[in-house]
Amino acid sequence: MKDFFDTWKFKILVGIAVFLAAIMAYAGANGRLTAAPQEILSVAVAPFQRAAAAVSNGVSSLWEKYTNIDAILEENEKLTTENAELRGQMVDYDKLKAENEAYKALTNIQEQHPEMSYVSSFVIGRDPLDSFYGFTLDQGSLDGVEANDAITSDEGYLLGVVTEVDLTSCKVMTILHPSFNAAGVVSRTRDNGIITGSADYAAEGLCILSNLSRSTLTKANDQVITTGLGGVFPPDVLVGVVQELVPEASGKSTIAVIKPGADPRTVKHVFIITNY
Amino acid sequence: MESRRKRKSSQIFKWVCYTLLMLLCTVLQTMPGLFQLGAAKPLYLLPLALAVSVFEGEFAGAIFGAVCGLMWDYTAGRTVGMLALELMILSFAVSAVVQLYLKDTAQNFLLIAAGCAVLVLVCDWLFFYYMPGYSGAWNRFLWFVLPSAVLSIPVSLPIYWAARKISIEFKIDNGVV
Repeated sequence: MKDFFDTWKFKILVGIAVFLAAIMAYAGANGRLTAAPQEILSVAVAPFQRAAAAVSNGVSSLWEKYTNIDAILEENEKLTTENAELRGQMVDYDKLKAENEAYKALTNIQEQHPEMSYVSSFVIGRDPLDSFYGFTLDQGSLDGVEANDAITSDEGYLLGVVTEVDLTSCKVMTILHPSFNAAGVVSRTRDNGIITGSADYAAEGLCILSNLSRSTLTKANDQVITTGLGGVFPPDVLVGVVQELVPEASGKSTIAVIKPGADPRTVKHVFIITNY
Repeated sequence: MESRRKRKSSQIFKWVCYTLLMLLCTVLQTMPGLFQLGAAKPLYLLPLALAVSVFEGEFAGAIFGAVCGLMWDYTAGRTVGMLALELMILSFAVSAVVQLYLKDTAQNFLLIAAGCAVLVLVCDWLFFYYMPGYSGAWNRFLWFVLPSAVLSIPVSLPIYWAARKISIEFKIDNGVV
C-alpha cells in the first residue's frame, strides 16, 4: 500500500481530485454547470426514473398506507367534516360567482396576459438529501420548459418553480424552500407579502407569507394567491390558506403561515406553466 | 488460463454490469416514496461505490466512486463535484482499510457503509443546513440524518452481494492454483 503513493495510479487519482475540486469551485462561482455532460446524464437517467416512478406510485402508496394509517384516518375524519361545511358553502357559491362577474364587469378588469400554456408532467425523482422536498420532472427543454417556469398542482395550486432544465427533465424548487420567493396577496384583505419557505415549517409541508403589516386584518382560512409582481409567476395562482398568524422575530411585521393547497412533499403529477 | 482477448472482454462486461448497477441504484435512490420513513430515505449510491472499491481495489474503486458521486451530484442538484470528491476519497480510504486491516465480510462492510453514510449525511447537514443557519437543525439531524444512515444499512447488504457476485463472476483466471 505504501508503494501505491509512488505510482502513476495515485497521481491520476490526485489529478481527478484536483479536477473535481476545480469544477466544484467553478460551479460554485458560476452556478451549476449546465454543459453537455450533465445533459447527457439526464438523458441517460430520465427514462429509468420515469419507469421507476410509475412502479413506485404503487409501492409507495402501499408503504404509505401502512406507515401513515393513523394520519389517514384522522385526515379522513377531517375531510368528512370539511366536506359537510363545503356543501353548505356551495349554496352561496352561485351567488358569489354572479357577484364576482358583476364586480369584474363593473371595474372593467381585463386579463393582462394571454391564455396560459401548460405542460403536463410527472414527478420522476426525489433525492434524499433535499431538505425542502425539491423534485425532478419528466419534461425538459425539448418540451418547451424553461428555467423559472411556475409549477402548479392538478388543482391549480402553486407548488414551486423550475430551477434547472435539461433536455428531457427539469428540477423544481418547492414553495417550502427558504430561497423561494414569490409576490403574494391575501385575496380577502389584499395584504401584500412575500410567499417563501421556512425551515421552521417545511417539515410540516407549510410555507409562509412574510412582510405583512402588524395591523393586518388577515385571519385563518383566508386564501393566498400570487400577484404576478416580478414577472416570474403568473397573477392569481392559488397558493393555499392561512393557517395561523405569528409575529416576525423583530416584531415589526407579521408572518402568515400558509397551508398549501397541494402538498409539495407528496405530489406525483403537476402542470408546468410555460407561457402566460 | 484465459486468452488476453477473452480477459479484456470479460473486464469490459464487468464494468458494464457495475454501470448498470449504478443506474439502478440512482433510480432507486431518487424513486419517490420508496422505503421512506418521514423525511428519511436510504442511500444506494454510497454503498455501491464502497462495495465496488472493496472488490476492485483502491484505484478502480476511487474512480468508480467519483463517477457515482457525479451521478449523485446531478440527481441531488448539488454543486457539481462535491459528492464526487467525497465518494472518491471514501472509496479510496475504504479499499485501503479493507486491504490492510479488515476481513472482507458482509458484517464489516455493513459497519463501514453505516459509518460512511453517517459521515456523508453529517457533512451534507453541516454545510447545507446547519451552517446556512436554518432553524430546527438538530431536529433535522435527529429525524433525517440518523434515520437515513440506519435505513441505508439493510440496503447495503444486497448491494454488497451484487457487487461481490459481479466481481467473482468476472474474476481474472491467471492460471495460478
